[in-house]
Amino acid sequence: MKHCPRIVLIGAGVIAVISAALCIGPTDLLDVRKLWDLVTGATRTAELERAALVLWELRLPRVLLAAAAGVNLALAGLLLQSIFRNPLAEPYLLGLSSGGALGAVAALAAGATVTIWPALAGSLAVAAIVVLLCRKRIAADLPSLLLAGVALGALAQAFTTALVLQFDPGAMRSILFWLMGSFAGRGWPEVWMLIPAALVGCVLVMLLHRPLDIIALGGESAHHLGVRVRALQLAGIALAAVLAALTVATCGTIGFVGLMAPHLARIMVGPSHAASAPAAAMVGAGLTVVSDLAARTLLARTELPVGVVTGALGCVFFLALLLRKR
Amino acid sequence: MKSPALSAKDVRAGYGEADVLRGISFDLHAGEVLGVIGPNGCGKSTLVRALTGLLNLRGGSVEIGGRNLVALGARERARLCAVQPQTEAPVFDFDVRHFVLLGRHARRSLLGWAGSADRTAVENALACADLRGLAERSVRELSAGEWQRALLARALVQETPVLMLDEPVAHLDPGHRHEVHVMLRDLARNQDKAILCVSHDLNLAAEFSDRLMVMEDGAVRALGTSDEVMTDEILQEVFRCPSLRAAANPFTGRPGVFFAS
Repeated sequence: MKHCPRIVLIGAGVIAVISAALCIGPTDLLDVRKLWDLVTGATRTAELERAALVLWELRLPRVLLAAAAGVNLALAGLLLQSIFRNPLAEPYLLGLSSGGALGAVAALAAGATVTIWPALAGSLAVAAIVVLLCRKRIAADLPSLLLAGVALGALAQAFTTALVLQFDPGAMRSILFWLMGSFAGRGWPEVWMLIPAALVGCVLVMLLHRPLDIIALGGESAHHLGVRVRALQLAGIALAAVLAALTVATCGTIGFVGLMAPHLARIMVGPSHAASAPAAAMVGAGLTVVSDLAARTLLARTELPVGVVTGALGCVFFLALLLRKR
Repeated sequence: MKSPALSAKDVRAGYGEADVLRGISFDLHAGEVLGVIGPNGCGKSTLVRALTGLLNLRGGSVEIGGRNLVALGARERARLCAVQPQTEAPVFDFDVRHFVLLGRHARRSLLGWAGSADRTAVENALACADLRGLAERSVRELSAGEWQRALLARALVQETPVLMLDEPVAHLDPGHRHEVHVMLRDLARNQDKAILCVSHDLNLAAEFSDRLMVMEDGAVRALGTSDEVMTDEILQEVFRCPSLRAAANPFTGRPGVFFAS
């Protein structure tokens, strides 16, 4: 495959970014000897014990969670863009993220403390309603499916805002922080939820790489070339919904990664899914890890929601893309 | 007599409430080019959609290679019948070679890399469609005519016994129009392919088809050799144009169409 060297290069870049994110923070781990002692466990001091705690219990799960979220959002975006033949499709546009946010906020309003399962239910419910609304016309009329997603997303957002206003100001702040996406305060349970999903997502998208190339040519062409169009559309939307729903449920709504990562991947390795799927997954991981690093280090005393950073990155990216096209 | 490569019996299909095809029956044999002509909206493209399973039949049946279309799996169907659809605009920047290679999908395992048979088929199809010089170019950078030839190459690379083309030369210059039709005739003669070609170019259809099917309001108005169906009466009635006249091509003797005024 002609794009192998570039994919390896992207992989090396992502590993570098992840290493940097592990080392940089209030507890500085940018010390080779300290890292060596940590890994080998040769010497034990109070400072090293504290560094080990920071690395294994705080930073590693956070960085892995960010990377897995990036992979999931990138794959969901790639799937939706190919199936809808629309380079602007992403989990947000289908209302998946808004559905998850509504589920989580509704659960909080009802007094629940766990938001993962309600958020998951919210995202999947939106996906199911969108598909059911257009069930009979899914192959013939993809734009109406997108419009149904946009409409349901807007409705979910309206309900979410109405619910958020019912909370007292302190709770409202933490809910808004969650809504903008964050990897703070998450641990290994969330990591073990997202990483298997990311791996399964990668394997499934790679297995389907050629049918996805073909469906990106259009439903009619795909039918003539021997692809079961309707089955692939439903499977792709369902997979994107699960990946996005799990991410929203664990990390809140992180915008633009699902849009940027597939674009960047196609610019680097072309549109064929055999190359663009692994590239998008790695670029997605790199983007979220960098964004999270920026979110926790840009301001001295406080942390930004990661969605604020990805939003700003997305804006710069698309303006640059527009300027380049001109 | 050999069984037909494609057989349509009383095919009915349509959109919404209305039936667009109102009982179409014909056989297409191996080694034959069947031209399908008729006015706008008479159901030519709908016929291609119905014959390939893109549109569900409301009545009648279609058999490809002696197998009922409804019983064929998607990949099996794509190994028996290839289609050059009317333009479906490309959205992503696939290069022409990869685009054509995707036509081999039904002949490859799900995970397998392209083998030497696939690569040879792609190079042959690119040569047939005069696209070798454009193989590395993005499909989004092709002109309308080049894109139409890329669609043709993708259908050819499927190496199917039946080939259906929906207005394959609509955007091509006269040189490429002639070239494509000569190639289709040669494919039928030399490789025994059964070819159905929807066309608005009546002269080319008459020149290069073994038989012509004239459609009118979703039904077959006439089916036979070009001499049998290209008559003043049929042309004037079907196309609702009293000025149309059929006359022999002075060079080949085949019938052609002219405007008397």
